[in-house]
Amino acid sequence: MANIPELAIHGLQASVEGKEILRGVNLTVRGGEVHAIMGPNGTGKSTLASSLMGHPKYQVTAGSAMLDGEDLLAMKVDERARKGLFLAMQYPSEVTGVSNANFLRIALNSRRGEGNEVPVLKFHKELQSKMKMLSMDPSFAERYLNEGFSGGEKKRNEILQMAVLQPRIAILDEIDSGLDIDALKIVAQGVNELRGPELGVLIITHYQRILDYVKPDYVHVMMQGRIVRSGGQELAEELEARGYDWIKEELGIVDETVSAGV
Amino acid sequence: MSITQVSPELEHDIQKVFESDSAALKEFRGNAQQRYQELPEPHFDRSSLENRIYSFIPIEANEPTDWQKAVESLVDLNGEHPLLVFVDDRLVHLGGLENLPNGVTVKTLREAAQEANVVALLGSVVPVNENKWIALQSAFWQNGVYIHAPKNAVMPGVIQVVHLTTQKGRGTFPRNLIVADANSQLSVLDLYVASDEVEEELHIGITEVIAAEGSQVSYGVITNFPKQTTSYWVRRAKAARDSRVDFTVGELGEGYTIGEFGSLLEGEGSSSNGHAVALGTGRAHMDLTAKMVHVAKFSQSDTSARGVMQGRADGVYRGVTHIQKGASGAVGEQSERLLMLSPKSRADAIPMLLIDENDVKCGHAASVGQISEEQLFYLMSRGISEAEAKRMVVWGFLDPVLAALPVDRVRQAVVQILERKMN
Ligand SMILES: Nc1ncnc2c1ncn2[C@@H]1O[C@H](COP(=O)(O)OP(=O)(O)OP(=O)(O)O)[C@@H](O)[C@H]1O
Ligand SMILES: [Mg+2]
Repeated sequence: MANIPELAIHGLQASVEGKEILRGVNLTVRGGEVHAIMGPNGTGKSTLASSLMGHPKYQVTAGSAMLDGEDLLAMKVDERARKGLFLAMQYPSEVTGVSNANFLRIALNSRRGEGNEVPVLKFHKELQSKMKMLSMDPSFAERYLNEGFSGGEKKRNEILQMAVLQPRIAILDEIDSGLDIDALKIVAQGVNELRGPELGVLIITHYQRILDYVKPDYVHVMMQGRIVRSGGQELAEELEARGYDWIKEELGIVDETVSAGV
Repeated sequence: MSITQVSPELEHDIQKVFESDSAALKEFRGNAQQRYQELPEPHFDRSSLENRIYSFIPIEANEPTDWQKAVESLVDLNGEHPLLVFVDDRLVHLGGLENLPNGVTVKTLREAAQEANVVALLGSVVPVNENKWIALQSAFWQNGVYIHAPKNAVMPGVIQVVHLTTQKGRGTFPRNLIVADANSQLSVLDLYVASDEVEEELHIGITEVIAAEGSQVSYGVITNFPKQTTSYWVRRAKAARDSRVDFTVGELGEGYTIGEFGSLLEGEGSSSNGHAVALGTGRAHMDLTAKMVHVAKFSQSDTSARGVMQGRADGVYRGVTHIQKGASGAVGEQSERLLMLSPKSRADAIPMLLIDENDVKCGHAASVGQISEEQLFYLMSRGISEAEAKRMVVWGFLDPVLAALPVDRVRQAVVQILERKMN
């Protein structure tokens, strides 16, 4: 068993409320790699992320997803996380009455397992230093989880969680949306700090902008619930310059969303 | 409802209980008993006592034994704050009163009501003829606390009062009167509990708060009666000009409960805030009302309530904001959020805005629901187990109210009760 993380997705199909969204996704993400998935609205990008994490609304109907050789789809949500999967959500939830720090400590200890809890003082010291790296005010530790956070603050908080939990595979769903350029640089820097052979990253985005700061090794385009094209960083640049229409033309796609052809 | 048919000997015992009362109090009781006979059963749209089984005879309880443990689970018997403990309406402990500011009176209401001017205040906030049960309580109440802060007195700390019921069949009718004169400040925490053996007991509790000009009163009240008890309580304040009355209310009982708290904002610029938390367990029935009545100009109120229903519990929470004609410039806010944790629990939030004046500001927010799937998914996606995630959401939901409880020790005790009941 390699120590290099690996998420291997084969022929993944998923539906929500009886509606088929993913129609066979194939993708392998390994430690040390950064993949980017791009694509217009409504093409199934978030559905892929939610299905992998195990959101109860999404039913996987066919295909497989293995994390380090283990069947991800057979695990409960929390188990997937403890095995090292992380999803920075497009719309993170707010939880009243639960402080950010407390939440993160409980999450970290769950990940580390019983008997291996992190000492409280050490935890707070490391939390503060990671918050500093993300230019977060120390007061965010004691605020209620995401409650009243601005869009950009929520995104930073997602990266903070990733930095604390140190996942093996991280999926970042539109971590760049709603960020101004300074915030984007901070978030990108946060991701870059964590890059390394111990971590595989899947970035979901509409814009090439973040990929200027977090250089991807692979770029994929999603349409109609499938990956329709893959390439390197140059594919992202081409999409930025020319839009998606040329791919649609090449592939003979009229409506790129998943509602097409249903 | 009726008082159990009593033999002449028992009748004699009942008379004996009230024998030492002042003439004024005897008259008050007699009048109340008459109202009780005349008044019809009160009507609540969501509760009825008709099918409840209980009987009571308002006699003196036996000498209480072994009450310390139950009380010590809630408060420090010899802590820094003043403490009165009543067991079955008998005062068994009175401590921490050494440092009361000059002129502040803290004693049993029974003793205070030897004075006619104290009796004159009984029923001035919660009128005897408001309904049959209040009349009943007014006729047969046995004890409670009387607190009087004279003009400008500032009471340090929190006056704690514990009412413990250990004997059934008597009817538990505790009554408190809190009087804050002009510009005085005081804080009271009132706790009602009963031992588990107390079944089919009727409890009717009344607290009247009279807040004079510029005074500030904080009144916290926690009730936790076992199943099969029937409990009706009214905690009400009358607020004069520029005074402020704050409520913190916790209802944790497992029996059949009907309760109401709130203020009559009679003075210009008076204000009243409330925090309430309710936990329904087992087959608990809770019919709770927060009622803020704006009589005067520029009066303000703000109440937020959180309720959690589990098992087969059934909770109704009404937020009533009544702005009367003439109360221009009044501002009234209410919010209630209820959480149902089990498929067989029920919860209803009923917002009621009664507005008879134009130039006012009112707001209302009500929600009833289950634990949000999105929140659970979010927490679990960080490796937290489902059970722990649910716990976090529920405790987080209650946190704003728990944080408002004024004594650390009591907050811990309430958290312990909640923890026990939520497992
Ligand atoms: N919970 C849901 N309930 C109903 N429909 C859903 C749900 N989640 C996704 N869908 C539908 O699935 C399709 C794909 O949505 P998805 O969120 O995966 O797209 P996306 O590629 O992430 O889009 P965007 O770029 O706008 O974030 C859409 O038609 C969407 O309406
Ligand atoms: Mg999306």
